[in-house]
Amino acid sequence: MGLAQREFEAAGFSTITLSPMADVTAAFGAPRVAAIEHPLSQTVGRPGDIEGQGAVLRATLEALQSIDQPGGMVHLPFSWHESRAEAIRNSHPVEPPPISAYIKRKPWLMAKLLRGELPKPG
Amino acid sequence: MNADVKQVDSFRFVPMMTKKLMQAWYPKEPVQEIPWTPLAKPLEECRIALISSAGLATTGGLPFDQQGERDKPWWGDPGFRRIPRDTQQVRSYHLHINTRYAEEDLNSVLPLHRLAELEAEGAIGAAAETHYSFMGYLPDAGEFLERTVPQIIASLRDERVDIVLLVPV
Repeated sequence: MGLAQREFEAAGFSTITLSPMADVTAAFGAPRVAAIEHPLSQTVGRPGDIEGQGAVLRATLEALQSIDQPGGMVHLPFSWHESRAEAIRNSHPVEPPPISAYIKRKPWLMAKLLRGELPKPG
Repeated sequence: MNADVKQVDSFRFVPMMTKKLMQAWYPKEPVQEIPWTPLAKPLEECRIALISSAGLATTGGLPFDQQGERDKPWWGDPGFRRIPRDTQQVRSYHLHINTRYAEEDLNSVLPLHRLAELEAEGAIGAAAETHYSFMGYLPDAGEFLERTVPQIIASLRDERVDIVLLVPV
């Protein structure tokens, strides 16, 4: 998301990413980041939690106004209602992602991926 | 450091293997040049667009290509979908998250209705007519950055958007 955000900012828009993996977003040179400790499938908040979603949106827009230099990050104060284990379990897709099944069949590819190498297509 | 201020753990809700892969993939050296567009006017006068990486499409709209990713696990659909501001329900085609939250309430990943409430209060100038979604799983982001992002930029300019708020999943 950081790479896309840079393009929008360079095109003349003021941008901010509300990121559940803020260090990753920032590492790509994102102009402004609002860091949030929410699970990946519910970045803004729980379904139906109008108050919580609204508070997160307001805080993100406040962060956009307060960050005054490129690469600035604001840590948002929100806490999640589930434990780490529960939240991760409940964020899993119903079926494992294709890449997980593929690595299960070809486990030696994992070492490659952990070195940051992308296998050749095909 | 102020002890009252929460320090967010970027990997608190990320599975261990995903964390290891992310740490292998993201740049280790600080990026030197970061683009910067200062906010030119008060929030009350700004038009805002939202962008989600949850692979969202309107109900009945063109799906993202899930079969392509099943056939080639290193590939993600590099396109995008427009999500009009009055959209009530979406489908999420992201194969790496639990999509039921987005499908139950799109505001959990793309807070369209919350943005409209801020507009009604006068806290922001306007919510844009159109918002956007793309597929966040893109091991090779080349085509997305070269073709898709410029199309979104053109659309944002057409609608005279001032602020872009991105929401990854």
